[in-house]
Order: sequence, then structure tokens, then C-alpha cells
Amino acid sequence: MRRYIAKRIVYLVLTLFIITTATFFLMKNLPGTPFDEEKLALLTQEQRDQIYASYGLDKPVIVQYVNYIGNIVQGDLGTSIYYTGQDVKDIIVDRIYPSALVGLQAILLGTVIGLILGVLAAYRHNSGWDYAAMIVSVLGVSIPNFVLAALLQYYIGLKWGILPVAFWESYDSSVLPSIALSVGVIAIIARFVRTEMLEVLQQDYIVTAKAKGLGQMAILSRHAVRNSLIPVITILGPIVVNLLTGSLVIENIFGIPGIGSLFVDSIKTNDYATIMGVTIFYSAFYVVVMLLVDILYSLVDPRIRLGSGRE
Amino acid sequence: MKKKGSLSLLALMLVFSVVLAACGNNNENASGSSSPSASAGASGSAAPSGKPINLYVENEIKNLSQWAASDDISFTVLNNVSEGLYRLDADNNPQPALAQDVAISDDKLTYTFTLRDGIQWSNGTPITSADFKYAWLGEMNPTTATNGYSFILTDYIVGGAEYAAGTGTADQVAIEAKDDKTLVVTLKQPTPFFLRLTSLVPYFPLNEAFVKSQGDQYGLAADKLIYAGPYVLQSFDIAAGAVLKKNPTYWDNSNVKTDTINLKVIKEQSTALNAYKAGQIDRVTLASSDVDANKSNPEFGTGIKFRTTYLQFNTKAEGLSNVNIRKALSLAFDSNILAATILNNGSSGASGLIPDLMSGDGTKTFRELNGKVIEANIEKAKELWAQGVQELGSAPKLTLLIADTSEVKDVATFLQSEFKNNLGIDVAIDTKTSKARNELMDNNNYQMAVTAWGADYDDAMTYMDLWTNHTPYRGNYESSEYDTLIANAKKETDDAKRTDMLLQAEKLLVDTDAVVAPIYFGGYSFLQKSNVTGLIYHPYGNPVEFKSAVAQ
Repeated sequence: MRRYIAKRIVYLVLTLFIITTATFFLMKNLPGTPFDEEKLALLTQEQRDQIYASYGLDKPVIVQYVNYIGNIVQGDLGTSIYYTGQDVKDIIVDRIYPSALVGLQAILLGTVIGLILGVLAAYRHNSGWDYAAMIVSVLGVSIPNFVLAALLQYYIGLKWGILPVAFWESYDSSVLPSIALSVGVIAIIARFVRTEMLEVLQQDYIVTAKAKGLGQMAILSRHAVRNSLIPVITILGPIVVNLLTGSLVIENIFGIPGIGSLFVDSIKTNDYATIMGVTIFYSAFYVVVMLLVDILYSLVDPRIRLGSGRE
Repeated sequence: MKKKGSLSLLALMLVFSVVLAACGNNNENASGSSSPSASAGASGSAAPSGKPINLYVENEIKNLSQWAASDDISFTVLNNVSEGLYRLDADNNPQPALAQDVAISDDKLTYTFTLRDGIQWSNGTPITSADFKYAWLGEMNPTTATNGYSFILTDYIVGGAEYAAGTGTADQVAIEAKDDKTLVVTLKQPTPFFLRLTSLVPYFPLNEAFVKSQGDQYGLAADKLIYAGPYVLQSFDIAAGAVLKKNPTYWDNSNVKTDTINLKVIKEQSTALNAYKAGQIDRVTLASSDVDANKSNPEFGTGIKFRTTYLQFNTKAEGLSNVNIRKALSLAFDSNILAATILNNGSSGASGLIPDLMSGDGTKTFRELNGKVIEANIEKAKELWAQGVQELGSAPKLTLLIADTSEVKDVATFLQSEFKNNLGIDVAIDTKTSKARNELMDNNNYQMAVTAWGADYDDAMTYMDLWTNHTPYRGNYESSEYDTLIANAKKETDDAKRTDMLLQAEKLLVDTDAVVAPIYFGGYSFLQKSNVTGLIYHPYGNPVEFKSAVAQ
């Protein structure tokens, strides 16, 4: 196990390095400059050159790249141009908490409710529950989460005044965004769990357990559900990442100062340092989550051996 | 073994959430998020203070160092936590602020400002003329100022341009701090609007000792700034907003009626509207689609901005090098229909480049003096188009370049259909991000583009001298007649003659040479709670004044 983790960490670093390099060069090809072009047009060429030089943008791209990698290794993610003078690391750290809280709550809520719906649907296969659960699932996948967000904001926030309409002021502010984000998660997990459970319920050991006299609840909880969790864990990886990135619109709608909007804004304004910083952050997060998911696999299903034979 | 699966999953998640909640709570408290029920207000004010006022800005508060700030949002905050020699009042006229009065020499070139007695920064240090000199020199210096606003000083102050280019020294710049309360400035040419310029953020003072003591941290947090304006920043978070509190050391303290102003950042228009209806903010700007539904609301109002959206022709591009083609396009669309039905938010069709209400000769506005320099005329457009096609040999294939904001996309669609209906031609629309559009224009890679310019000050020159730099962004326009008119206007001491030159220049640019086709003058619609009064919104320069705002 330990060798496996060590090997994966090496791959992790390699992956991050490749992603950083690719993003860096792609990003340098974005049209436009990090500056306000309307104002830039009013300067003379010398003044413009001076501004570029002060940000190190006058050197050849390769030199900029080498400098950047050198800085990263020392833990310096650079300085933002758009948020003039702010350290990219500080900006990211400031904005992580809201996104993380909302995202995590969405996952928890989504997983729990998705599980319940999926189990119900499989257990009461082809009954009203099954169809209802699947309709919810289809709706959850089809309705864009920002439509739901706007509806929630209008009805629950404005009309009925139960929860705050927007802004990030107290714990309550995270409830509506989490609900909006969780619907997609519910939909996907319900579907997966249902499919897996249907298969599990056909298995021999379930029949054996019934024959041994185990009650329905015991069968469900001790055998069926646990065995249906593998696809859930598989898909948890991509879901986590989707929530991080897909939360952008939710953050805009609810006025949450999170990291999704930071990312898109930095791309729109060609803020090189921030784009790179957030990309590295997201990539690192994703690879680490993937590693954790794989480790979780081996814990959940002893048939899966990490390392030998699987790679 | 099987027990481990779901339990470890749940355990992992619970651990995650607990850890995040723990460090998150510290984070949340530290970032100073605002709440309407603010703590007791600042000391020292005699007048009873009104309720807190809640407003918002449409994007993040990027930077509060005035040498780096170049956007409306930063200016919104800076204008209210700091101040210049003069400040614009509700009629957009300059009133003495940190300056007590000014003496102007007969040749209109030398301004001697006398600062008020007893003015101080929020940390108790006196505000002196040296603070102005330090800030202005810093703004002209390209190694310290990165916001591209040096022109607003170097265009007017003797020695400024040379200092900025590195060919002159700071001592040769004609700003003299004669003594602590006297500031003497010499201008290159008579500038009737100079006092208005001093109300703009790049002209605000900075305390050298404080700025230097903060190093590169200056302006990055509320405690890394000192304040000279009606309010101070209690806290600010780039993405969440700012909390402003009445400034106890402000010279006009007794006239500031509100203790707390909460500024949120709301990027999404529908969120802002919902927040307004929920009573969380006191004013909201309406999207075009919401105007009709809210017109009958007593809280409804409209305003204008000195911002003209226009069609920039590339006079060296294929097809558009012919002036008749350009004129035909200019006359082939009716911008009044656009403003009334599509924009429907207080904007109006453009009758020239300079917006309505921009000053002309002191009694009449510029627009009143010059009348309609552009007006839809379909018959004439058809004639000119036919003529142009004949001169060129064949009808040119045209593409319209635009940025991808929703308002501009509507405008482009409108133009496309007008050109089709009135001239029978198919114009393609090329939509790009703002950055990409700017790059294409800078690289001379376009035929015609929709772009806009907002006035920095209340004088036609803020528009007119843009077309003397002969760049592709300005259509590659090179006219010695135009350049001469502008150069002479800049030197002219007789106001009437100067105004006349500017009037001629606009006619030359828009009508005779058809370099640009103005489309509409910017307007906006809003809802504002009826108990909130005294908010002053300017059509140019600093967006808003909170000084006299009060919520009953």
C-alpha cells in the first residue's frame, strides 16, 4: 500500500507539472493583455513598454516560464495584475472557504439524498417510488442549476423570507447555494445507486441472507447498500471537481466571494498569475481527490488490490 | 471488512467538514464581512446620524491605491474616502473641498490654491500641499503609476509629459508646494475645466510618509490606507464589498449625515434586483428587460452617463476607405428606434459624438450649439452607397466586430437588420471577447467595430483629441486639418474661439470624413428607496457622492 501511494504521489507531481506547462503556454496565447486596453491606448509606446517590463512581460515566453516554475517550487504563486499587488496565494486562500463549504455541503446533501432515492427506487423496483425517483433524477440532470438557484432565491429567499437572498454573511447564506448545487449530485447518485443495487439484489448472497432469516432492513443495510457503493465512490471524484468549477454561476447569483468566479474573472481579464495559480490549485485538488478515491476503493472492496496487478 | 466502506466514507466527509468549518469560521470573522446592524458609529460628530445605507457595486473592488485604480468601482470607493482640491456638487459644478479657494492668473495658466485650515488625514497627520505634489508626481511617473491615467496630468501641467517620458526631472514639473497651505500649478495651455479635473481621483493627495511605510502592501486592506474624505473604510474585501464609516477628522464632518454605508459586490443583475426587493440594498440599476415592469413604480428613475457608443470605421480597410460608403452606413440606421424599443433604459439616439448635456460655451450645451451632426436619412444613404459602389467597382463585403456583452450584441443585431432593410446588404457580425476585440482593433485587423468612450471630464476635448493619435484603434484617421484644429484649440485662450474649433472638429470627424458613426448616448434606469436621499450620481468622472446621502 505504501509503495502504491508513493508511486501515485510521483505521478501526481508529474501530472501537475505537465498541466502547469500546458496551461502556461496556452494562456500566453490568449488574445489581449492583462491591462485595461482603453486606458492603455492613451499611453505612449515607451510608457507601455515600461509597464510591461515592470511585470516581467517583456522577456521571451520561455524565460518567463522558467522564472515561473522556479517561483512555484519556492511556494511563490506570483502577483496578480488585475488585483494589483495582491499575492495570488493570499487571494486564493481568502476565497476558498465559501466555495469549499458550499461544495462540501452539496456533496453531503446530494450523496445522502441520492443514496436514499436510489435505494428506494431499486428496492421498490417498478413501483411508484421507482418512477418518482427516476423523474427527480432526470429533472435534476436536465434543469441547469442556475435556473434552480434563481427560483430558490426568488421564492425561498425573497417571497417567503426564510433564508437570505444573497451575500455571505452567516451560515444561513450557504444553505440555498448548497441546495442548488446538490440537485445535480442527487440525480447522478440516485441513478447509479439504483442500477448497482438492482444488480446486487439479484446476487446469490442476498438470497442466502434471506434464507438464513435476516430481516429486510438488515439485508439492505448490512449487505446491499455497502456493495452498491463502489460506483458512488468512483463518480465522487468527478462530482467533487464539477462542484468546485460549476459553482461559478451559483456564486455569481448568490453573491458569494468564492473561487469559481475568481477563476473565470481572471481568464476574462488575462490575469496570468491568477489563472495559473487557480489552475494549479484545481489540478492539485483533483489529483489528490482521485488518489483518495482509489485508496477508498481498496478499503471498501477487499477484492481490489492496489498496486500489483491493477496498474 | 465490509463495514469499513460506507463508514470510512462518511467519516472522511465528516472530518473534512469539521476541519473546514473550524478554519473557515476564523476566516469569516477575520475578513470582516459586513452586517447592517453595525456597531456604534465614530465619535466626534454632533449631528444625529441617519440609518445605514446599503448600496452595491457591480464588480470586485480591485484596488484602492489611486496610482493603480482605473475603474469605476475603485473610483466609487476612493471618491468617498478621500478628496481632492475640489469636489463636484449635485449640478456637477466644482466646489472648494480641501482647497479653500484658488487664484487664477490673467493668462489662465497659473493656479494658486490655498488649502483649508486644519485639514488632516484620518491618522491625525496634517494634509499639506506637499501631499498633492507627491501624489501628482507619482501619477505621472510610469514606474509608480500603472493605471494609464497619467495623461490626465501630463496633458495639462508644464513639464509633466517630459517627466513621464524620462526626458525631464521632477523639479522641472511646474507643481510648487510654496508652503504647507499653498500649491502653485502652471498649465501648458488654458484649460477652462481644470478645476473639474482636480475633483478626479488621480488628483487626490497622498501622504508620502504613510505610503512609503506600507511598502507594497499599500491599499491592500482598510488599515493600509489613510483617509481624507467624508468616510473611512472600516473594512474591505475585494469580492464581498466594503463598509464605510463616517470620518471624524473630515473638515466638513457636520454635513455628513450618515454613519455607515455598506457596499456589497453583486455581479448578477437579477440578484441585485432580488436583494433590493428584499430590502437588503437601497438602490438597484435595472436591466432593459425589467424597465417596463417597473416604470410605474414611484421608486423608478433614469439618469444619463456621458458615454457615447459609436461605430468606428477603419478608414484604411478594404471597402471602407471610400468616404461615401462610410457615410452611407452612418445614415442608414435610425438610432432612435434602438434607444426607444431595444435599449429602453434611458439611453437616447446619438445626434453627434458629444453627448447631450456636455457643456459647450457656458450657456448652451455642445449639442445645442452643433445641432444634429448625424441623422438617419435612408434615401441619402442609398444614393451614397450606390455612388460608393460605383467608385470602388463592386460592393464591399462587410463584417462588424463587437465585444460579447449582451447590450452590444443587441445593438449589432439592430444595425445588421437596418443595413439589410435599408441598403439591401448583408453585414456579418463577428463576436469576440472584449480583450480579443481590442487586440484585433489594435492590430488593424477589422473593418468596423462597435466601441464606446466615456467622458473623463465635462468638455468636448475628452472625446475630440482621441482621434489625433492616428492609431488603428481610432480607425487610422490621419487628417492634418483635424489635427491642426485640435492642436489650436488646446492653445487657444479665447473660450469662444476654442469652442468654435471643437464644434468644427466634430463636424469634420462625424459628418465630412465619416470616421465614426455615433449610435447612442448612454442612459440607465434605476429603483431607489424613497427614504434615501442625497445620493449624487455624476454622468462622468467619479460615479457617485455619498457625502450628503441620508436614509430617513
